[in-house]
Amino acid sequence: MNILITGVSKGLGLITTETLLKQGHNVYGISRSKSNELEELINDYPENLSWLSYDLSDAENVRQKLFKEWIGLKTPLHAYINNAALAYDDIVTNLNLEPLEKMYRVNVFTPMMISKYAIRHMLLHHIKGSIVHLSSISVHTGYKGLAMYASTKGALEAFSKNTAREWGEIGIRSNCLVAGFMETEMSSTLSADQRNRIYKRTSLKKATSVDSVAETIAFLVSEKASSITAQNIHVDSGTI
Amino acid sequence: MVLLNEIINTVLKNRGKEAVKDIDESFHLRNDIGFDSLDLAELTVRIEAEYNVDIFEDGIVNTVGEIIQKINNK
Repeated sequence: MNILITGVSKGLGLITTETLLKQGHNVYGISRSKSNELEELINDYPENLSWLSYDLSDAENVRQKLFKEWIGLKTPLHAYINNAALAYDDIVTNLNLEPLEKMYRVNVFTPMMISKYAIRHMLLHHIKGSIVHLSSISVHTGYKGLAMYASTKGALEAFSKNTAREWGEIGIRSNCLVAGFMETEMSSTLSADQRNRIYKRTSLKKATSVDSVAETIAFLVSEKASSITAQNIHVDSGTI
Repeated sequence: MVLLNEIINTVLKNRGKEAVKDIDESFHLRNDIGFDSLDLAELTVRIEAEYNVDIFEDGIVNTVGEIIQKINNK
C-alpha cells in the first residue's frame, strides 16, 4: 500500500512510519524538519520512504505541493494517517487567539484539506482507502490546561465520523485512534507529579505504549480492519 | 466532447449505473444522466485529472454544456 502520514520526524509518527515500512508498505512521510532518526530510516528504506518538508500551517498549497508535485496524480494512495499536531497548552483564562489559530490550522484545517484531496485521489484510482486521525484521550476525560488542544481533537473526531458516513458507500473508511498519554516530546512539558496523576487515572497505571498505538494504526489502515469505520478506537491504558 | 462522454460513462460504470448514449450539451447532470453527489465528486476528479479544472470550485454546475464552458475558459 501507499500510505501518506504526517509528523514523521519524531515520536509516534516516526515509530508508525517504521512499523509500516517493516510491513512492506510505501510511506509518504511529511514533517517540517528531518531528525537524525528519520535520516536513518530514510537510509534504511531508500526505495520505500519518500519524505517531504512541509509546514502544515499552510492549508492553501496542499493539492499543488503534496498531491500534484510530490505523490503525483498517477500514484494510487491507499491511506492517510493524520498524526502531526501542535499542542498549545494553557488555562482558558490565558487563551491567546494567535497560537490558537495556528494550532487549528495545523491540527484541523490542513488535515481537512488533505482528507479532501486524499479522498479525491482514492476516487480517481477507484481505491477503497482508509483515513486515520490521531485523537487524544483529553477529548473524553478532560485535563486542566488542555481545553484548547482537546478541542482540536474533538473537531477531528466529529469530522472523521461524518467522513465515514459520507464515503462509506464508496468503501472509504475513516477512524480515529484515541491515544492515551505516551512518553513522547508532546507530553514532555508535564512534571513528574502531573504524569503520575495522569497514569493513576488509567487501568494499567502506566503510560500508553507508543508501539501499541503504532501497531493499531497499522491495523486500522490494513484490509484486516475492512469492517471498521466511523469509530474512535481507544489505545489509552484503559483511561477512566 | 468525446472524451467528456467517456469520462461520464466511466463514472456511471464505476458506480454500477447504466451508460448514457448521445449525450449533448443540454443534458442535466442529475436529471438526465442520473448522477448523485458522490458521482459528481468522482466526475470532478476525473475531469480535473484530464483538464486541470475543478468544475465545482466556484459554484454549482448543472449541465454538460456548463462543464464544457469551464474547460474552455480555463
